[in-house]
Amino acid sequence: MIAVEPNPLLEGLQIRRRPEPCVLVIFGASGDLTSRKLMPALYALAFRRLLPDNFAIVGAARSPESDDEFRERMKKAVQEHARDEFQHDVWDELAAGMRYVTLDIADEAGEDNLTKVLREVDHDRGTQRNRVYYFAVPPSAIEILLREIAERRTDEGWVRLIIEKPFGTDLQSARKLNELISESFTEEEIFRIDHYLGKETVQNMLALRFSNGIFEPIWNRQFIDHVQITVAESIGIEGRAGFYEHAGAMRDIFQNHLLQLVAISAMEPPIDFTADSVRNEKVKVLKSLHTPGPKSVVRGQYGRGFIEGEEVSGYREEDGVAPDSLTETYVAAKLYVDNWRWADTPFYVRVGKRLPRRETTIAIQFKRAPHPPFEESAAEWLRPNVLLIHVQPNEGMSLAIGAKVPGQGMAIRTVHMDFLYGSAFREGLPEAYERLILDAMLGDATLFTRADEVEEQWALVDAIRAAWPREKIAFPNYAAGSWGPPSADELLHRDGRSWRRH
Amino acid sequence: MAEALIEEWNGQDVTLGEVERELARLRDASSGEGMNPHQRTSVMTHVAWVPQEWLDAAERTLEGLAERHPSRTVILVPCAEDRQARIDAEVSVRCFAIGDRAVCGEVIELRLCGSRADAPASVVLPLVISDLPVFLRWRGEPPFGESQWEQLIDVADRVIVDSSEWSDLRYDALARAFERTAVSDIAWARTRPWRVELAAYWPAIREQEVWIRGPRAEAALLRGWLGARLERAIRHIEPAGELGVRLGGEDLRPPREEAFSPSELLNTELDHFGRDRIYEEALLAVAVEAGV
Repeated sequence: MIAVEPNPLLEGLQIRRRPEPCVLVIFGASGDLTSRKLMPALYALAFRRLLPDNFAIVGAARSPESDDEFRERMKKAVQEHARDEFQHDVWDELAAGMRYVTLDIADEAGEDNLTKVLREVDHDRGTQRNRVYYFAVPPSAIEILLREIAERRTDEGWVRLIIEKPFGTDLQSARKLNELISESFTEEEIFRIDHYLGKETVQNMLALRFSNGIFEPIWNRQFIDHVQITVAESIGIEGRAGFYEHAGAMRDIFQNHLLQLVAISAMEPPIDFTADSVRNEKVKVLKSLHTPGPKSVVRGQYGRGFIEGEEVSGYREEDGVAPDSLTETYVAAKLYVDNWRWADTPFYVRVGKRLPRRETTIAIQFKRAPHPPFEESAAEWLRPNVLLIHVQPNEGMSLAIGAKVPGQGMAIRTVHMDFLYGSAFREGLPEAYERLILDAMLGDATLFTRADEVEEQWALVDAIRAAWPREKIAFPNYAAGSWGPPSADELLHRDGRSWRRH
Repeated sequence: MAEALIEEWNGQDVTLGEVERELARLRDASSGEGMNPHQRTSVMTHVAWVPQEWLDAAERTLEGLAERHPSRTVILVPCAEDRQARIDAEVSVRCFAIGDRAVCGEVIELRLCGSRADAPASVVLPLVISDLPVFLRWRGEPPFGESQWEQLIDVADRVIVDSSEWSDLRYDALARAFERTAVSDIAWARTRPWRVELAAYWPAIREQEVWIRGPRAEAALLRGWLGARLERAIRHIEPAGELGVRLGGEDLRPPREEAFSPSELLNTELDHFGRDRIYEEALLAVAVEAGV
């Protein structure tokens, strides 16, 4: 074998990897996700010259549209939603590689047409038959599209599939989908997207834990009293009754975003920051999660109430929702991670719609100081130390500490030391989709969920949901604009704790 | 981007204690009554040695820095010709509103008059933020061997020069700082797109004839780098306004990477901490050849 001499000119250059030439095919190109997130993210990547020189976008959806109409619609989407100023030269370069295919998944002719367009794009744009397929479509459509892609797959170029949540609707369907995928694709070709993992603050959680020597020694049951994770939305279902009636808060948020936040908070240090090392540690947490019983899970559904001073409808009054719907719009639960680090340390988690404000936080509440040598009255306003990670909005973190109030005597109050990304670095944070689309093009799956992770998430969700048919529940049980049903407060009060005050 | 709210103070013949007191007062003044106090966020102390003729350019560059490198900036303006030994100060707290808060950076501009310009390290040391790195940007040609240069490079974790600002490429003198602090050269940073481009021609480039044209500093450093890396002499160089390379008799297309502003170039250098051995090697190659 001939030894390859290393290139001495590359040493020290620290070249950021750029993706190889490829075509990004977006299934569901007429949808909201494409306009609001994917296209603005692609524009941001083009703006920073992070896309390959030979690149093209092919939008595919059922609605008929010409290439020019698609470009025009995407241009408006970028002008409305992109985080960067609109620059005509950047847009023109991106738009030059954009095509649109009308695709009815029930009709094979549409797939043939897509194949033909992709060949043309390869010829015109030099994309070398490399494909990234983005499935921004409901789970029912994914199966059909997967089969079509597998049938038409050739040995030339590579294929990567980005699959949006929800990945299945329960453990059985997720397994079935994973099996279907594995018939024609390898795990390295699959990128199950959970956009929370693309957020800077979620990645910063890993930086916080594994690059600061002061946190990891106390990141365990000995020093942490409990963990609270909140994923709160103030919006309702925004006209998505068809989806939400079947999904509910459990499948929409709890199964994916929330359990990923639990996994990242509780995981052991990975041996390196490669996809499998990180995901191996996350899956260990997911495997060891359990909830102590049905009483440790609370469901809720919002009734009428007020958001920002405006009266809003109850869930059952929303368009397309059954008037006697039992779909949950709120879930709170007490979870345990059965391992040496976390035994007996509760993770209280809650997700909900029509809560008072949009907020995703991870609060690590430390145990109280064992013997404060102050008079009781001096420290009556002193709360235990809390490390609060703001995932959104106002990304950053704060540490609540006790400090003396200036003046005579010894009065101690809780003060917050804040690190807010927006304040520390005024540089704009990249949107999660920018990072994730680029990573998928590069073939880096670190921030994507693996098949076994998804299955473990569904296993826990199925176990919780299995108890629900036996429970009698009266919905609605919380007013829009409140922090959820009283039973969620009771869940913590029983343990002598309470939800974080807002 | 939110506009900066600036609180300023200036004084003549001041002490550094006064400067610190006034900074604290300005920070207080910048937040309104009953509002959250503004945050001071710093990732470093940024010291700039800026002779009068470079002051405008330095201030323009600084305006683009706070985005990525919020810091305390200490600008030292020597005015040795003014014989009265004193320090005049202009101090400002620049706050940028973000939601209901603001983030503030501090700029301390000190004119070191008379003999006060001779011992700048003693002026800087009381003002550096503890435990954060100190970056020193030296505008213009450093007075190698003189007290200002010799003192300040020992305070800094990294010194950043731009040898394209020099009338004489005294790389041999700059190289003597390598064992005392990390050194960056913005002229070297400007050659990066070409270095990336040329790396793609390995291994053919080993044997091919190379012509380099461009501004004096950048062309010299690019040639030094190629010579050191390929372990052969790169003889051809000619002056030009922009860098360009002819390889094996053919002009290469300029790299696609766009030109960076002075602030962006400095920002990039402020992200690096350790010594850049490849740069040092390139610079030494130029120095050795000049010596020959």
